[in-house]
Amino acid sequence: MKLELRKIQIKDVVFGDKMEVNGGVLTINKDQVVAKLMEDHRVKEIKIDLAKPGEKTRIIPVKDCIEPRVKIEGEGKGFPGVTGKMVPLGDGKVNVLDGAAVVTIGDIVGFQEGVVDMWGEGAKWTPFSKTFNIVVDIIPVEGLEPHVHEETVRLAGLKAAEVIGEAGRYAEPTNVEVFEMGNHAEESAKYPNLPKVLYVEMLISQGLLHDGYIYGVNSQKILPTLIHPNEELDGAVISGNCVAACDKITTYQHQNNSAILDLYAEHGKTINFLGVILTPELTTLEGKFRTCDYTAKLCTMMGADGVIVSEEGYGNPDSDLLMICKRLEKAGVKTVLITDECSGWDGMSQPLADTTKEAVAVVSAGNVSHVVTLEPADKVIGSAKAISTLAGGWDGSLSEDGSIKCELNAVIGATSEIGYHNCTVKLY
Amino acid sequence: MSYRIVTNNPSVRDSYKNVIFIDGTYEDVLVKVRDLVHSGVELIDSPLGASIRMLLSPYRSILVGTERQAMNADQILLIEQSILNYRTLTQRRNSEPQHANDYAVVDKALLEASIQAYEDMKCPTHSKFTGGEFLETRA
Amino acid sequence: MSNPFKVLYYVNQFFGQVGGEEKAGIEPFYKEEKIGPAAGFEALLEGEGTVVGTLVCGDNYFNEHNKEAFAFIMDTIKAAKPDLVVTGPAFNAGRYGMACGEIAAKVTEELGIPTLSGMYIENPGLDTCVSKVIVVSTPDSAAGMRTALPTMAKIARKLAKGEELGAPEVEGYIPQGRRLTVFSDKRGSKRAVEMLLARLNNEAFETELPMPQFDRVDPALAIKDLSKATIALVTSGGIVPFGNPDRIQSASAQKWGKYDVSAAAALKGAYYTIHGGYDPVYANETPDRVAPLDVMKTLEKEGVIGKVYDYFYTTTGTGTSVGNSLTFGKEIGAELKAAGVDGVILTST
Repeated sequence: MKLELRKIQIKDVVFGDKMEVNGGVLTINKDQVVAKLMEDHRVKEIKIDLAKPGEKTRIIPVKDCIEPRVKIEGEGKGFPGVTGKMVPLGDGKVNVLDGAAVVTIGDIVGFQEGVVDMWGEGAKWTPFSKTFNIVVDIIPVEGLEPHVHEETVRLAGLKAAEVIGEAGRYAEPTNVEVFEMGNHAEESAKYPNLPKVLYVEMLISQGLLHDGYIYGVNSQKILPTLIHPNEELDGAVISGNCVAACDKITTYQHQNNSAILDLYAEHGKTINFLGVILTPELTTLEGKFRTCDYTAKLCTMMGADGVIVSEEGYGNPDSDLLMICKRLEKAGVKTVLITDECSGWDGMSQPLADTTKEAVAVVSAGNVSHVVTLEPADKVIGSAKAISTLAGGWDGSLSEDGSIKCELNAVIGATSEIGYHNCTVKLY
Repeated sequence: MSYRIVTNNPSVRDSYKNVIFIDGTYEDVLVKVRDLVHSGVELIDSPLGASIRMLLSPYRSILVGTERQAMNADQILLIEQSILNYRTLTQRRNSEPQHANDYAVVDKALLEASIQAYEDMKCPTHSKFTGGEFLETRA
Repeated sequence: MSNPFKVLYYVNQFFGQVGGEEKAGIEPFYKEEKIGPAAGFEALLEGEGTVVGTLVCGDNYFNEHNKEAFAFIMDTIKAAKPDLVVTGPAFNAGRYGMACGEIAAKVTEELGIPTLSGMYIENPGLDTCVSKVIVVSTPDSAAGMRTALPTMAKIARKLAKGEELGAPEVEGYIPQGRRLTVFSDKRGSKRAVEMLLARLNNEAFETELPMPQFDRVDPALAIKDLSKATIALVTSGGIVPFGNPDRIQSASAQKWGKYDVSAAAALKGAYYTIHGGYDPVYANETPDRVAPLDVMKTLEKEGVIGKVYDYFYTTTGTGTSVGNSLTFGKEIGAELKAAGVDGVILTST
């Protein structure tokens, strides 16, 4: 499989009559995007706004982030199985609007947080303060039941990324990244002495607002499955998870999965990267058994010497993470976990909801209860209601000058458990 | 009926027959589940949700078995530890009465998914859930 | 330059130059002088701070007359209004460490005055204060004074000025167990790949989230015939005979006691609780609720168990250091084993 991600570096974004990229400036025809999204009869109104790095702008509540792209060679338009015809992904050439993100907002339920601050203290904590954000506010028709509402918003975001991605069809890339890997027999023949490594990516798979999709299939219904890293980089995995702001994996982060990219960078040099296993995080104990046993079995079947496992969420998925680790270590597979922790405001509580002695190598992406102060914004894109939810977290969380104290928990991507961001925890 | 629902969510109470309704808080639901697990009732669901936000929900619904069986030490540790984690997470938080209805909707939807998953599996026996040290049969 | 900050120093009878073990019973006193390490400490502050006085107390007195000692110490500190209270360094001296730890913790908690101590990592006093107090890591004997004091002075200057301390290993203090979120120069996935490579190459690596350590004890084999077994009753619930004859501490216990119950049918009527960690009303009403001698004696009479061991063992669990707990457990265990006891019922609260 060979995938070329042709990065077109975006330096600014403006509204205009055309859809194009010229000299790094992305011009968006707002009417064209709105018209496309209004084709869905469940959508009542679409509002589009821009948020640029450094502006005193706050976006809330963020549902998903998606990277706008267009495939210029090879199969797959949009997101196959979701917004496009079903084809296998992972081959071909893709023009990527690098540095731009479609950010969807909209209250599906009233208690959503999901802050992105484009400036100041808040900007430090989210990777999406560094992207030029095209914020799409999706207001559905009245009376939709929550599942349908969620799907409407999810699809609108993906379609927006697809339409905007078209702007880059004829632009020249600033750099081209090539991801190429043969089948296992070929790669193992090429690198007979390199240790074989798999990446296990866990996905919250628990129902409304807590779902992930692979080629459009709800991950609740799958056994752990093996996927080529190129497929995920090409858009095979979609986020339907809207509540765990700090540690959900947005669609953008699937498209640019940092664990995949960092493993790919070592492929053929220090490791033989075998692929990605997508593992659902279920609610029932028996379900956890099944998926964890199956995941470990896939790893040993493939002959992995080492595995990186990343979690999504906090709470019951901690058990899955550690159960997988335990099974792998017992099978002699060296395992590194990526998780975040919830060690309380003072950092003195037990970090995870479970523990196992086999988890000897763990990367912590930060304490979700760490308190940060967000200054008042000049401009808020989104919902004042969500701000009041954020500000009312506890007594004294809203100060007189309008700044808000909140936990990292509310900040999009702050403690990304695929290791997309730089937060970590140190013992003091 | 192979399961019961311990819940404090009125909309779950009104939609299902096999409900142990708790007129109380999320923590009261966990405590009731703890009492049941101590008496040998199987824990079907993991007691905590998968996101911090849902831990702030005023409502929680948890699936348990219907019969008393041999006491399961792993499940006891799991529910006890969950209660401790729950307290750590929520000790400073204000309640959000304005969102109660939304939380009720999502709690019920997650319960539905859980019931579906359980029925798909039709596990006849008592779960010997083994997680980390808290949950593991020490072998 | 602003006024130098004021330090109040605490030492035991030995470092207070009163005497050795024979003087461990002396009551606390306060002098507006720099006694023992306080003098060297002040010199190391290089004029930024000054030691206004030294509190001295005997190690035994502090531990056996905790209330009285604390009353004097706290009153003295309140009156002196120091900017910083320094205790020790206690190195690996257990009773001295307990005093240094408990005083520092209480001063910080109740008076809000910054405190600083110094101990060897295994000093049992560390548990009493490490989460609240900055404790400099010292060698295990007083020979380490020369290395301990400069580190303590350096940290003292920062604490008194309200400056933030760096990481424990950089500054030289013992980690307090606070897990703080900070930024790394590498993203998480990169760190994970590097950690995995280190593991695959059998190189050293350091986890960012050590799993909690549990002191696992394998369960003993089941007793084959309970009707022939001698069973002892042990509690950490602070149940003692009226009057607490052995003066077992109500918290942070330094000792355990054993009492002859061979003739008793129950604890009720002769025992009460001195435990400082729970509401004593129901335990005082019927101490057997905490340590069920009554039920055991009934079972003995019914022949379910062979015999209730003649002595009942007790201590207080609340605030008691892990080190002391281990010691108590080993001591009590050895006695029970020597006495041929087959099984133990251990109750907590």
